[in-house]
Amino acid sequence: MAREHTYLEEEFPSPILQLWHTFKKTPVAIIGLSCYLFLVFLAVFGQFITPHSAVEIGDSLLIPPAWSDEGNLSYLLGTDDLGRDMLSRLIHGTSLTFGLSFLVVIIALVIGVVIGSISALSRGVKASFLTHFLDVILSIPSLLLAIIIVAILGPGLENILWALALVSIPQFVHVTRIAIKEEQKKGYVLIPILDGASELRVLITSIYPNIIDKIIIQATLAQSAAILDIAALGFLGLGAPIPMPEWGSMLATSLDLFYIAPWTSYFPGLAILFSVIVTNLVGEGLRHSLKTQKES
Amino acid sequence: MTFNLRLITKIIPLGLLFTALSGCNPSTDDSVLSEGIVYCSEGAPSSFNPQLITDGTTIDATSKQLYNRLIDFNNTNLQRIPALAKSWHVTRNGKLITFYLRRDVSFHRTDYFSPTRTMNADDVIFSFNRILDPNNPFYQSVAGKFPFFQSVNFHDLVDSIEKIDDYTVRFKLNRADSTFLSNLATPFAVILSEEYAQQLVAENDPQTLGKLDSLPVGTGPFKFKQYRNNSFIRYAKHDNYWRQDVEIEKLIYNITPSNTGRLTKLLTHECDVISFPIAADEIKSRPDLALEEVTSFNVAFFAFNAQKPPFDNPTVRKAIAHAVDKKSIMKAVYADHAEIAQSLLPQASWAFTDEVTTFEYSVEKAKQLLANAGLSAGFSFDLWAMPLQRDYNPNALKMAKLIKADLAAIGVEVNIITWEWSTFLRKLARGEHQSVLIGWTADHPDPDNFFSPLLSCSAMETGRNRAFWCHDEFDQLLAKALASNDIDERKSLYLQAQNILVEQMPLLPIAHSKRAQAKVVGVSGDILAPFGGISFENINKTNGEN
Amino acid sequence: MLNFTLRRLNLLFFTLLMLTIVSFSLSYLFPGEVITNLSGQKTPNAEQLQQLNELYQMDSSIIHQYFAYLGQLFNGNFGISMSSQVPVSTELLTYLPSTIELCISALFIAMIIGIPLGFVAAIWHNKPADKVILAFAMIGYSIPAFWLALILILIFSITLSWLPSSGQLNLLFEIEHVTGFKFIDILLSDNVNKMSAINDAIRHIILPAMTVAVAPMTLFIRLARTSMLDVLDSNYIKAAKAKGLSQAAIIYHHGIRNSLVTIVRQMGLYFANLVTIAMIVEVIFDWQGAGSWLIDSIFQRDYTAIQGGLIALAIFTFVINIFADFIYAALNPLERNRKHGA
Repeated sequence: MAREHTYLEEEFPSPILQLWHTFKKTPVAIIGLSCYLFLVFLAVFGQFITPHSAVEIGDSLLIPPAWSDEGNLSYLLGTDDLGRDMLSRLIHGTSLTFGLSFLVVIIALVIGVVIGSISALSRGVKASFLTHFLDVILSIPSLLLAIIIVAILGPGLENILWALALVSIPQFVHVTRIAIKEEQKKGYVLIPILDGASELRVLITSIYPNIIDKIIIQATLAQSAAILDIAALGFLGLGAPIPMPEWGSMLATSLDLFYIAPWTSYFPGLAILFSVIVTNLVGEGLRHSLKTQKES
Repeated sequence: MTFNLRLITKIIPLGLLFTALSGCNPSTDDSVLSEGIVYCSEGAPSSFNPQLITDGTTIDATSKQLYNRLIDFNNTNLQRIPALAKSWHVTRNGKLITFYLRRDVSFHRTDYFSPTRTMNADDVIFSFNRILDPNNPFYQSVAGKFPFFQSVNFHDLVDSIEKIDDYTVRFKLNRADSTFLSNLATPFAVILSEEYAQQLVAENDPQTLGKLDSLPVGTGPFKFKQYRNNSFIRYAKHDNYWRQDVEIEKLIYNITPSNTGRLTKLLTHECDVISFPIAADEIKSRPDLALEEVTSFNVAFFAFNAQKPPFDNPTVRKAIAHAVDKKSIMKAVYADHAEIAQSLLPQASWAFTDEVTTFEYSVEKAKQLLANAGLSAGFSFDLWAMPLQRDYNPNALKMAKLIKADLAAIGVEVNIITWEWSTFLRKLARGEHQSVLIGWTADHPDPDNFFSPLLSCSAMETGRNRAFWCHDEFDQLLAKALASNDIDERKSLYLQAQNILVEQMPLLPIAHSKRAQAKVVGVSGDILAPFGGISFENINKTNGEN
Repeated sequence: MLNFTLRRLNLLFFTLLMLTIVSFSLSYLFPGEVITNLSGQKTPNAEQLQQLNELYQMDSSIIHQYFAYLGQLFNGNFGISMSSQVPVSTELLTYLPSTIELCISALFIAMIIGIPLGFVAAIWHNKPADKVILAFAMIGYSIPAFWLALILILIFSITLSWLPSSGQLNLLFEIEHVTGFKFIDILLSDNVNKMSAINDAIRHIILPAMTVAVAPMTLFIRLARTSMLDVLDSNYIKAAKAKGLSQAAIIYHHGIRNSLVTIVRQMGLYFANLVTIAMIVEVIFDWQGAGSWLIDSIFQRDYTAIQGGLIALAIFTFVINIFADFIYAALNPLERNRKHGA
């Protein structure tokens, strides 16, 4: 057999790739991930594949799901009191509830990691101030803070995005800061420093690749919290404006139909539950693989 | 803090143990739960004095519970009956009205007020002078805002109120007005305690004057105990109530704005009675619950703007009116919780008569009339539908869609238009609409209240005449009826007026919706009344139900 | 211990400072007049306005204004609620105890169910029991509280008619408001049948407390499971085993105590989350607590109440945090000397 490499090279995949290798060995995590990707797909393309319009009012009111006796196959999950197809609304809602949470996490992640890095590199009064500040923010219930921000800005999708991003930032700052501090103690970081590399360069080339897994895990945690918060705000009527099929507000508006058309309350709740479980499964899978890696 | 924490952590396990022992059995044989009524209302009262408000929620919460009026309406025929005034006398010219008061009426004894005397003429005079006299401190404490009394021009009507003796009061009016007595029987015209007012004035602090309306004292079947903002009202039985012995010890208003919340509480028997129930079928299907309804004094109608073509032609208006199928509207929009309107007057009104020419649904007649008007080719017009729910019309948009389908059958095309509510009202008052779906809830059951505010020429100036229709003969009939105190004469005048409406068709009355409430079967007695809010005066609760 | 206490007090002080700054700046951020937002006086007459301006030193610099505001807070003056025109402090005293009652009960339920389940999962590690418990924890952690509340009401209130769906006590019980804690008030009252009132109060608290408890319960399951696994894996346990101690004795003597130490610590950190859930649950169950009151205030744009509620709830969670820290330090001497901010 011809050797391609002259020297026997032992390959060290990047930490994120290592994580993937362990990750794909857990079947539950893989199921979670595929469902997660499915949700991402729906969030992006959902509006194009809905069988009916999600906001336009239809003629067939309160049709139960297709499997019940009075159901209608063209409305698989039934319709609501304005004749809107539940399935279409749920699919459309994916981009609002799930998609929005994704954006929230990206924004919070970027800002959080930057602040976290700054705080990890700074010392003395500045650092102490930051920790204290974080402690205070973390002691305020996140949803309460989001609600207050929405109260200032007024309800609306964009305002929710900023409010929730703002309240998720401290966790990212916290995780990043602790992770960087831990890495700084390790020996390998010393080498480029001795070579004369700047602190920033060390951070980008050496430390970030080694802490990215922790940040991703935090991101999944933040996302599952964000989904619940978006839905909760929607449920309280502080979220997406009325005709929009955001899951939480769908659930809230369906309450008046609870006794007449229970399916209008069951499905949005199940959708929220499903997306949070899926996100948590991915996060759990990642955490599990990280642990097995460390142990091996 | 620590102390409380410890105590609680000690109590809770004990409690859990207790529940475990007692099982999850909801029926405790505790008399506290069976001697009171919990009523789940749809909203919080905006005051505890109905003189200051016009909204139904506040009337329901206060008027017939805490107070009495000089006159009441009989619930079945809506005739005036004696209340705090045992009788009254109107002079021939209708300008002097003398009330002879009951002598045995006691005011509430509460934590904040102990009455030393029973009700007399001073209380009556105070209650109305507070509304009429700008120098009265209690006129000033609410900045003279008495919306109902302002709307009926009470200040212009009443010249003075005179005390003849301790139990006789005379109103002197500037002109005869046959609605005056009805106005005194509305839920707004309550009698307050003059002695309590004196006590508040004596405290000499402008802030305490507001207590007259927030810590109420009245003569009604229940007295005020406690109010937690937006949460609950606690009333207790008035032991010396003059009319009868009140059966229940406590009356609680559990304020539950959510429709589902109220239904849930009824299903779990946390509420004995709920207002405005949803899911009527679910309630009817349960043996432990009962649904009741009463036709209330309102009307939903379809008004044609008589200033704008083609509706300036009565024939076109009648053609359209013939083509509207009220029966299908009744079913789809009101779910049959309404009665089809024969005329503007609901059947419960004393002036209602079926002698009025009926106006049936007939596509043939509609087509014929259109042809007569030279519009057999059809036309299109704008129909404005109000954007929100009102008691007389739960869903105007849905109604508009049904009418659109009906009119398509005679070749008329309808464009449905709606605006945000305040814009809607503003544009409507300016007469920018071609036609509109709206309605009216009566202030008092006098039949005049269904005609003058809606279709008189003066109402056209304020824009409340949605048809912008002004008819001299009709107006004169109304004025004549208003000046008369003879019921039969008035009846015949209103019949003539209604026949003019059928001939002219400025608006098509569609429905008188019913007001519903649901209760657990153990509660007996009439709570709902067609007019003037609910009353718990005659209510009883059978033991064993909770 | 003194050092530790000082550090915590320092943190508390800093928190209060930050919170009051945030709350003060809200008056400027909210729409409307600053002085109206601060005091809650909606339509003050000229005289009152001047009085308020003096009280909050509206004419001097913003720093002075802040200290004037702080002074008012320390005097217990949170302004008056814009919607009810009652002092915010009075409303807080009315509503906050109910929230505390709910949170504490939920925490208690979460602990007595969650911790044993966690231990069970650890002892039968990787067995079916473990898997079932973990799956339950995953679902409990993911379920939206408001939806869970609806399902519980549907099952236990409507279908089974076991438990009431709203409120803290049947309103027909007239309990005088003394402490605000329903259970204590019932015990202090003398005009009702205490046993049936307590019974009624318990039946009312079960559903909301269960709903709030589910999320922290899953946390306790995980924590108890992880720490028990760690303990069982540690050398001293192996030594104990070698010594011939039975499995039960090991778990009883070493495992439980050591696991509880970590749990207490995490419980404090998790409390903010628990209060958040409680806020929503209060709305659904008509629980007359600070959470539903605060959300109501937001709907009514009652800015004075929002500020007061924010301060009260944040301080409440923070005090619990510190309280948990103290317990942790008492249980775990190592913590007392740890450098802060490390």
